Amino acid sequence: MAALPPAPSTGLGTWKSRLLSHEMLLFYVLIALWLFFYFAGTTVNRRGVTVGFGTLDRQFDILRHSCEIGLLALALTPIIITAGIDLSVGSLLGLCAILFGQLWHDGGLPIPVAAGLTLVIGALAGGLNAVLITALRIPPLIVTLGTYSLFRGLAEALTRGSITYTDFPASFLYLGQERWLGLPTQAWIFFAVAIAIGLLVHRTTFGRAFRTIGFSPEGARYAGIPVARRLALAYVLAGLVAAIAAIIYTARLGQAKADAGTGYELFAITAVVLGGTSIFGGKGSVIGTLLGVAAIAVLKNGLACLPVVMRMNAAEEMSGLLTGALLLFALSAGVVSQLWSGFRQRASAT
Amino acid sequence: MSPAPLLELRQLVKNYGGIRALRGVDFDLRAGEVHALLGENGAGKSTLIKVVTGAHAPNGGTITLAGQTVSGLTPATARALGIACIYQQPALFPDLTVAENLALRLNAPSPATRMHWSDCRARATRLLARIGAEISPDAEVRSLSMPEQQLVEIACALGSGARIVVMDEPTASLTQKEQHLLFAVVRDLRQNGVGVIYISHRLEEIFALADRVTVLRDGQSVGTHPVAGIDEAGLIRLMVGREVAQIYPAAESAPGAVVLSLNQLGCRSSGVSNVSFDVRAGEILGLGGLVGAGRTELARILFGLTPADSGTITLNGQPLTLRTPQAAVAHGIAYVPEDRRRHGVVLDLPISHNLTMAIHRRLFPTTWLRFGAERALTLDYIRDLAVKCSGPEARGGSLSGGNQQKVSLARWLATKPKLLILDEPTQGVDVGAKSEIHKIVRRLAKEGLAVILISSDLPEVIGLSDRIGVMGGGTLRAILPGGSDPHVVMAAALGTAA
Repeated sequence: MAALPPAPSTGLGTWKSRLLSHEMLLFYVLIALWLFFYFAGTTVNRRGVTVGFGTLDRQFDILRHSCEIGLLALALTPIIITAGIDLSVGSLLGLCAILFGQLWHDGGLPIPVAAGLTLVIGALAGGLNAVLITALRIPPLIVTLGTYSLFRGLAEALTRGSITYTDFPASFLYLGQERWLGLPTQAWIFFAVAIAIGLLVHRTTFGRAFRTIGFSPEGARYAGIPVARRLALAYVLAGLVAAIAAIIYTARLGQAKADAGTGYELFAITAVVLGGTSIFGGKGSVIGTLLGVAAIAVLKNGLACLPVVMRMNAAEEMSGLLTGALLLFALSAGVVSQLWSGFRQRASAT
Repeated sequence: MSPAPLLELRQLVKNYGGIRALRGVDFDLRAGEVHALLGENGAGKSTLIKVVTGAHAPNGGTITLAGQTVSGLTPATARALGIACIYQQPALFPDLTVAENLALRLNAPSPATRMHWSDCRARATRLLARIGAEISPDAEVRSLSMPEQQLVEIACALGSGARIVVMDEPTASLTQKEQHLLFAVVRDLRQNGVGVIYISHRLEEIFALADRVTVLRDGQSVGTHPVAGIDEAGLIRLMVGREVAQIYPAAESAPGAVVLSLNQLGCRSSGVSNVSFDVRAGEILGLGGLVGAGRTELARILFGLTPADSGTITLNGQPLTLRTPQAAVAHGIAYVPEDRRRHGVVLDLPISHNLTMAIHRRLFPTTWLRFGAERALTLDYIRDLAVKCSGPEARGGSLSGGNQQKVSLARWLATKPKLLILDEPTQGVDVGAKSEIHKIVRRLAKEGLAVILISSDLPEVIGLSDRIGVMGGGTLRAILPGGSDPHVVMAAALGTAA
């Protein structure tokens, strides 16, 4: 007990490499999934049905359909790193889509102005979450469960559950349905947001603060970090990004309706957690979130071109089932590796 | 003449890791006596209780109960053998009624038996009446005051037929009237042949209530005396005892201008009132006192964690209001907290992150992280304070206590503060690191920093401080010169004239 050699470092080096390995692992799974669907999809092609998975068009289609959930997942990443949660982003997407439609259609505002106002509204809605969480100290889960219903309810009320805004100008639909410089137009926005949030989380003092709060809110407070303001930033940002997702959603479908984005928050949370961000806070990365989004997207779209699934007409159900299984596997793999390292530490301590 | 004592401890030893909390304690408790246990913070009182109630197993020595040596004591067997403990913080279920709480404790737990609630209620009424408590057995514990909850605990101890009752600072939160009620209960217990181990910092209670008193110091019993045969001065001498053995680095220069000045400072919610003192540049002001004296509470006011509601704080001649830690940091106040694992260091983050946490604005003025600058700064402090670690990327949790403390200190030195508040900087730190920290603190003072040193380690406060403020009951009791006689300091902390 007396003269032990210094224990091997359990510093950031190993922690980082473990995180990296989680992301690398997810990356391999993603490649494997893709290859599987690529070859499984070709057989369909040989039978003369043109739903091949491996085509470039198909990839772009997947990307196009992933942008909204991807944006929400990006918005949730800083929040989950602070050990918080935001269940209201999907509902806020719906509310913002409706408000955007109203501002343009009923308010007669030009599209860019309506879009700008929608972003402000999104940020304000995120601000409502932020105030309830930081000033009144209500747990994020409860607050955003409330605003989850509130935002969706408002959207339904504003449209009396029936109005759908359509007939958007082609110049606007270009954002959601065309390609720009070879990629689906909205993908550029998605990547820009991804880079911005990536930089925020990994390269700025704000990201540091998120991580510190996630690991130890009390420790952050005692270090003079403005905990409430940093948390507020994360939720306001989520509101803003949800509004961006709402505009893209409207542009892709060419219509704004109250049920836009229903259930998206769960896909987004799944993608974040699958990407290695700890629901307990502190650990996580934006790259991981992107991989998580990609894995879910490939799984969902790939299943749709499997002949077996097509015959059963059960792509949705299958993708839900497999996403759930993948998520549980990823989570338990994380816990098992933690238990293992804890066990090794204890073994080396005695 | 008397039969075997109720409880007899012989050469009891208890180690926590490398720390020897009890190093051969002798203690005995007779039936029908109140035996007071006295000692400084960290003298081993709590450890002794934990061993007697079976919470912790001793590493050596014997425990004899009514003439029979017992080993492998667990909380359950201790209770079965008639040992009950009343803690400062009652451990009742707040959402259950008094009668339900009593039933939970006193009925043997078995899943299939039917509860006889009317019996339970009747028993609760009887027990409460016996100790003279005016508490309804149907009251929810949540609605009771702290002293009332303690009375329920005592009723519990009575109901379990305890022969040995341990009371840990039972009067800490009681009013005068409740104290008298409690004393009556204790005397009643004694009358009925129960042995009471009574722990308190209040000497007058010990003289009013106890038959004998045992003083613990540094994990050893330094004497058991009949209360009738000893006076306050004698007790204090026993408690303090040792000489200031360690060599403390001495002050080399006279203190400079007044940095911090407090006038009638108070905060009702944390129980601090009417604190006034000055701290000068280059001066170490020690804050001594017993646990609960209000020293950490004062530090929390000065760091903006619990803002003051009366009095004034003046820093470098400017009056301040400190409502948040950020404001305190911006004004050059640094606080190295007592609980370093929860507040001082974020265990999951690397040393470098921990170190730059409070200087984000200065080190990263554009909010973009500068990893190179951060690493260089971290390496500087690792070298400067001799932090033993594998490098700037080592997680806070991988360091030993002393090195965590150094990281916590380095974080605040990096803020270039004007006032540094150290709260128990050497608690749970090994001897080597302790003397290193002492040297660092003295060096900082020499460089012109104003230092407030909160410490329950009496020799440390006396040896390291230029002046010693003694706190008690949430207020400043005395300001004494550095190097004062420990007995005087202890007497001031206890609130008695030495």
